[in-house]
Amino acid sequence: MATSRKSTKKSTSAQSLLIDVFIWAFLILAAVYIFAPFIFMFTASLMPASDIMKMPYRWIPKGLYWQNYWQGIRGNDGSFIYLRNILNSLIVASAVTATTVFLSAFTGFGLAKYRFRGRHLVFMMILATIMIPFEVIMIPLYLIIMKLGFQDSYLGLITPFIVSAFGIFLMRQYYLSFPNAVLDAARIDGASEPMIFMRIVLPNSIPAIATLAVLTFKSQWDNLLWPLLVAQTEEMKTIPLYIIRFTAEKHTDEGAMMAVAAIASIPMLILFLKLSKYFLGGAVVFTGKKG
Amino acid sequence: MISDGDRDGTAAHPCLLFQAKREMKKRIFSRGIEHKKARWGWIFIIPSLVFFSLFSFYPILNALYTSLFKKKLLSLAPPQFIGLDNYAYLLQSPEFWNSIRATVVFTLGTFVPILVFSLLFALFIMSRKRFQKFFQMAYYSPAVLSSVVVAAIWLLMLDPRGLANQWVNFILNTPGIDHKWLANSTMVQISTMMVYFWKYVGYFTIIFLVGLGSIPNSVHEAARIDGASGRTDFWYITLPLLKPTTVLVSIMSMLQCLKTFSTQYLFTQGGAPMEPINVITLNLYHTTIRDRSIGLASAMSIILFCMMLFFTWLQFKTFKSEEVDY
Repeated sequence: MATSRKSTKKSTSAQSLLIDVFIWAFLILAAVYIFAPFIFMFTASLMPASDIMKMPYRWIPKGLYWQNYWQGIRGNDGSFIYLRNILNSLIVASAVTATTVFLSAFTGFGLAKYRFRGRHLVFMMILATIMIPFEVIMIPLYLIIMKLGFQDSYLGLITPFIVSAFGIFLMRQYYLSFPNAVLDAARIDGASEPMIFMRIVLPNSIPAIATLAVLTFKSQWDNLLWPLLVAQTEEMKTIPLYIIRFTAEKHTDEGAMMAVAAIASIPMLILFLKLSKYFLGGAVVFTGKKG
Repeated sequence: MISDGDRDGTAAHPCLLFQAKREMKKRIFSRGIEHKKARWGWIFIIPSLVFFSLFSFYPILNALYTSLFKKKLLSLAPPQFIGLDNYAYLLQSPEFWNSIRATVVFTLGTFVPILVFSLLFALFIMSRKRFQKFFQMAYYSPAVLSSVVVAAIWLLMLDPRGLANQWVNFILNTPGIDHKWLANSTMVQISTMMVYFWKYVGYFTIIFLVGLGSIPNSVHEAARIDGASGRTDFWYITLPLLKPTTVLVSIMSMLQCLKTFSTQYLFTQGGAPMEPINVITLNLYHTTIRDRSIGLASAMSIILFCMMLFFTWLQFKTFKSEEVDY
């Protein structure tokens, strides 16, 4: 009896060691699979095209072939339009982020901290718009933007995104737990409501704001469909549009293509490494509702 | 408003001023504060409300309305009311049915693997004592890249002379075979699924991790004390308690897949055949931009919307979401 129990214990420990090894191997292999395309992008961006398509791929470039970056920025036609497109992406993403953060906080605060009739209805209506996919309202939006004369302009690229239902939801959840005592104390000291919002509420909601800002910036950096409709001239295009055009051009060099992709990715990767907490936190906003 | 009281000049003595101020505040607080607060509440929400009326509610109604017309973009001819003809046309058009097929195949082929693997990744990461943070960040990192960048990288890796062929041939031990990732109509569909899977699996892993983390440890401990093995604990404790998260991930990833556009767009621009991956959004885009038939495109978008609502409803029904409490 005693011996048999001992032997089962031994076999389970051997088994659990095996499982342990299996899980480590699985996680590491998955990480390799996730990282391989990244490494491919960066190494290929530093290789001449003839090396990229060599049969056993050389993971360590022979030398640093910086010409790819030059070629990517210059463009096949030598117009350097990529620089302008990067600037456009920066302008649009920053402007959208600023307005979204401010207006979402503004409205989220109003919904969380003021009692008035109809506020639940308003909140539900705003939440319902999360269900409306952009693809469905894209054409009417395009018509509106045309009517306003915002086509092919920064205003046209920015306007449909100046506030997001998701952002309002996120900020409202955050403000629900904001202490009322602080607000009342400020009121007693004679602060007006906008002043309370600007001076006390905004500075004290940095974590929520950072999460929203990072997610908004990322989604604008990635936005393709809307600029594809609105931006018509090369001068108004954004990074994703340039990458598509560059990729589709006949004589594009593969190395330059990866250089262009790397240039577009580096800012986001740096942001991710610096602010990973907010990126990861943003993924869970919807689950946050439940414990 | 309160500061008005300071300016009336009665304050000869600072102490008196202080008292008067205090009384005044008291009065304002007891009388008008709720009313005043209600007014401020509206002021806080009105900008967003105006925005959503203009850029969400109006457009969705407008899309519904436009779908009943024969309307061309940039055309001077007045739109012509044709009732449900656009829908009838679409439902008879083999091209649109092909788009529905492409969308459904892509969605099923992508979100099911994402669901399974993100759960697996989350469970495995959770079971480790070290490197949790590293794996979280590593798996999440592709979600940070633009979809266009992701598609461009994979476009090169799936090239006939690219990495994908080399690796698959190495694993299957079939040297020199070209798997036609971007040329064969089945393979190109699989390729788009792979790209999407690579980009989003980590994102949903994070959501599962939070779901797993919110299951209190005491529940697992109680099960262990009652003699549950690791496997029993997983099937009878973790999985049922994880149901709300699973429903969430499942619906979110499905909706994401139904809306896919960038990958297919870049692949077709890069020379892949259009027909097998002509998903609804891609068709919608071409109908708007190339054919300029926005009546037809609106009908398409409404059909896409209905599909999304239908599949969401279906998921809620299959999961029969009874509330989970712990």
